Amino acid sequence: MRATRLAAWLAVPARWYLGVVFVGACLHKIADPGSFALDIATYDILPLALVNLVAITLPWIELGAGGMLFAGWRVRAASLLVAVMMAVFILALLIALTRGLDMSCGCFASQGAEEEDPISRVTVLRDLVWLGLAFFVFAFDRGLLGINRWLQRRSP
Amino acid sequence: MPGLLRILLEAIAVSAVAVVISLLFNALRPAGLELIARTPYQILVPCPEPGGPVQVVQPTNPWILSARTFLVDARSPQEFDLWHLPKAVNLPYDWLDPVPEDRLLELAKSIAASGANRVAVYGDGGRPDSGEHLGKEISGRGIKNVFFVAGGAPTMLARPSHHRSEER
Repeated sequence: MRATRLAAWLAVPARWYLGVVFVGACLHKIADPGSFALDIATYDILPLALVNLVAITLPWIELGAGGMLFAGWRVRAASLLVAVMMAVFILALLIALTRGLDMSCGCFASQGAEEEDPISRVTVLRDLVWLGLAFFVFAFDRGLLGINRWLQRRSP
Repeated sequence: MPGLLRILLEAIAVSAVAVVISLLFNALRPAGLELIARTPYQILVPCPEPGGPVQVVQPTNPWILSARTFLVDARSPQEFDLWHLPKAVNLPYDWLDPVPEDRLLELAKSIAASGANRVAVYGDGGRPDSGEHLGKEISGRGIKNVFFVAGGAPTMLARPSHHRSEER
């Protein structure tokens, strides 16, 4: 019981952290969807017809999920979304690494900043840690310090 | 189970709202992307560099001319004919095509037969240096102790006291 409560409290900084990461990651993509589309195209996984569509929509899903995690609103749905996105990103990274591509991750900067954000096994490891955090939040978050709980208290 | 279904539906709903907002935002912004790309993106990803590890050796190092060193000249046959180090073997490095497999096999046999315990490659000394790249190719075929001479042939030519040349 005590361990569960501790985990629930630990889930709070975990979701704040994930929220900041996801909001931070989406900003450059929303600001410059053309560069993000090039990032996606460089992975050479999606058909051309889907590249722009994903470049336009994915950052907003990241923004939504990240914002919800940070605010503590519908946390389990947000952490599920983050987990699914992380799983897809990890798969894409593994495919790119297997092909031996020397490219930018596209996670926090576009292809022009390859030195700042190159793909590597470290990138995969980092994403695996975030995937684990998403699962942790999904499993243990109880809405502490979140909007959901605040709204419940206010409702009669 | 109904709880999980509810969470899944919430996630789908959030995604749907995000998609709608993103499409609206893209439609309203002046430099919005076309929804479906018509022309392929010009992707420039450097290919992974083939080859193995190669170390640098300074042109003044005396072991370059020792009997235990197998010398390879990566320059063109014309340049090789004009000047090369004694006992050097010419294996021109082509920037566009990899060195043919049979030439590398022949080279590996020559290295094994020579009793040398290291290979020193010198090239045009440019940036990039053909010697360094040929060295990587040779090293990539499993030949150990491959070095490239820093500065290549021009540097060695500038120091004639260090290297007795074979000129024709």
